[in-house]
Amino acid sequence: MTDLSSNPVKAVPSARPNSGSLYQRDTRTRRRNAAEKRFRAYGLTAILIAVLALAFLVTTIIRDGSGAFRQTYLSIPVALDAEILDPQGNRDPAQMASVLTLSYGQVLDRALDRAVADLNLQIPGLQDGDVDGLVSRDASAQLRRMVLDNPELVGQTVDVNVLVNGRIDGYFKGRVTMQSAERDSNVSPQQLLLAEALRDEGLLVTRFNREFLTNADASDQRPEAAGVGVAMLGSLYMMLVVLFLAVPIGVAASIYLEEFAPKNRITDIIEVNISNLAAVPSIVFGILGLAVFINFVGLPQSAPIVGGLVLTLMTLPTIIIATRAALKSVPPSIRDAALGVGASKMQTVFHHVLPLAMPGILTGTIIGLAQALGETAPLLLIGMVAFVREFPAAPPEGLFDPASALPVQVYNWTQRSDPAFVERASGAIIVLLVFLLCMNLLAIYLRRKFERRW
Amino acid sequence: MYDTTRTESAVTQTDVKISARNVQVYYGDKHAIKDVNVEILDKTVTAFIGPSGCGKSTFLRCINRMNDTIDIARIEGRILLDGEDIYDRRVDPVQLRAKVGMVFQKPNPFPKSIYDNVAYGPRIHGLARSKSDLDEIVERSLRGAALWNEVKDRLHEPGTGLSGGQQQRLCIARAVATAPEVLLMDEPCSALDPIATSQVEELIDQLREKFSVVIVTHSMQQAARVSQKTAFFHLGSLVEYGDTDDIFTKPRDSRTEAYISGRIG
Repeated sequence: MTDLSSNPVKAVPSARPNSGSLYQRDTRTRRRNAAEKRFRAYGLTAILIAVLALAFLVTTIIRDGSGAFRQTYLSIPVALDAEILDPQGNRDPAQMASVLTLSYGQVLDRALDRAVADLNLQIPGLQDGDVDGLVSRDASAQLRRMVLDNPELVGQTVDVNVLVNGRIDGYFKGRVTMQSAERDSNVSPQQLLLAEALRDEGLLVTRFNREFLTNADASDQRPEAAGVGVAMLGSLYMMLVVLFLAVPIGVAASIYLEEFAPKNRITDIIEVNISNLAAVPSIVFGILGLAVFINFVGLPQSAPIVGGLVLTLMTLPTIIIATRAALKSVPPSIRDAALGVGASKMQTVFHHVLPLAMPGILTGTIIGLAQALGETAPLLLIGMVAFVREFPAAPPEGLFDPASALPVQVYNWTQRSDPAFVERASGAIIVLLVFLLCMNLLAIYLRRKFERRW
Repeated sequence: MYDTTRTESAVTQTDVKISARNVQVYYGDKHAIKDVNVEILDKTVTAFIGPSGCGKSTFLRCINRMNDTIDIARIEGRILLDGEDIYDRRVDPVQLRAKVGMVFQKPNPFPKSIYDNVAYGPRIHGLARSKSDLDEIVERSLRGAALWNEVKDRLHEPGTGLSGGQQQRLCIARAVATAPEVLLMDEPCSALDPIATSQVEELIDQLREKFSVVIVTHSMQQAARVSQKTAFFHLGSLVEYGDTDDIFTKPRDSRTEAYISGRIG
């Protein structure tokens, strides 16, 4: 014990910070306060910039993408001519299926011509083909699907809703103008005038585009028919694969490394490698997936199972790091308490440590999943960028069918020349963001639920 | 380090519960416990005193092999519980810890209900055959820890919602619930206020009737109040061990005297 009396504290008057009145701030205090004020201002500015950037991003995406959720349809009565659509006349769907889309195009064109003639419009310079060009190239296929689904319609005149050409649709959304139409070989100003007249008559209607969410991708020529259905399903399947593989493997690996593994050189190396894996560019995982899962194992290209496996590899480090951090943050006193009453190591971990680490594990897992959901590069390498028209089947078989993925669909659409696809791409981004938002909400909900740590 | 002949003759009247033979503990290169020999009696409170870092807690944690969880700790020598070496290869530390319970310095109830805290040990060891059995064990343990009256109406409220002293008594109840033979207490009152401390001390005195209690304490007054035997540790060695009264009134080693008179520590 130190004897205080042998070492008296000397009074040093000059060491006093301020001998004057408390009402008077000395230079040092003023400077200190000014520095603090400056720092707060920096922080506030940083936050402001971040918020503005975010607001700009969100408004841009919504402005560009909201158009994808509205689509213009033409609604006209179509006489489904039995001689063209069912030459045999027995309404047998199998035989009717041999009638090509081209014939439906004729029927549609005829109906359209009649509808326009009925209106008795005077549009100078309107040429013959212009009227037929109003509808989408996909419209006749749409009509064919409708008729093949309901063969009894043949011979009747039915009101039909078909997609309008992307340019016309763009005119109503402000993407196409009279000026741009003059330079455009795909649409003429006369067509736009005609479309306007048809809208005034109530034949052209712009309404909510449910098909955007349910349709598959469409070719370059028919942006109006393109949807994110296949991509959404593909992303969903991949998330399922990641969820069922990455989460159990990641959590089990973390528990072993954190709680059971001896601390030695080998576990150190594993630890360093896991941290490094988290920083590996995702495209590398794509090459790995191509080499291992497709070329070596022989899994099909473009399949969600391969995408899911690649994303699992990519997500594992994130989940492991987050889970280990969560396990580490559980106070050792809880472990001592459990061991002290004679719980085994495993009982300690599963009864006490894991429940307390759960919120952290969930957050990490969902961050990992969200990361995987937005990942594009590795999927390009395993062929998920392919043009997929067919919906994959229900899982588990569907996991092996070709599919697309949301971010890849966005990437794909931004590559196309028709500006209508830019709108679609932004629309797909909105869908992706909604997905992410839902996952985050789920994370918050689960966190709340498990965080009842009293 | 101390005169073994004297202690051994002094303890022959009562049963020896734990006996340590030439125990050495190393933390990596650090020699934390140096050749400790001690005999701890049944149905007696034994206090370990000594300055910080003297190894008393380390030695305590050897008795139920809590040091196993520390990778760098290495233990030599033998610790016999009822004549069986607890460091024998055939011994499962989990089984040992059910017999040798422990209460820690900081109250550490599980973030579960009061009931579940106490019931956890009996559950994992299968001590209760039915719900009513379990209820009975929980009540008996809480009564044993002098906590029953305070919590009987809120058994299903969180244990972490209790006050510090109550939490520590809950931890004692939890330790008692597995029906241990030895209860190790590592500075159980250091985080408690004087009133809670006196409650826990009273409790320790009652526990002596059923268990062998070993308590590590920084407070010499506490050691004097609750224990019948006292061991003084210094720099990893057991300097002196004997009846508490003797240690505090006529210590034989100059270091013991220096410590209890407040000159080292």
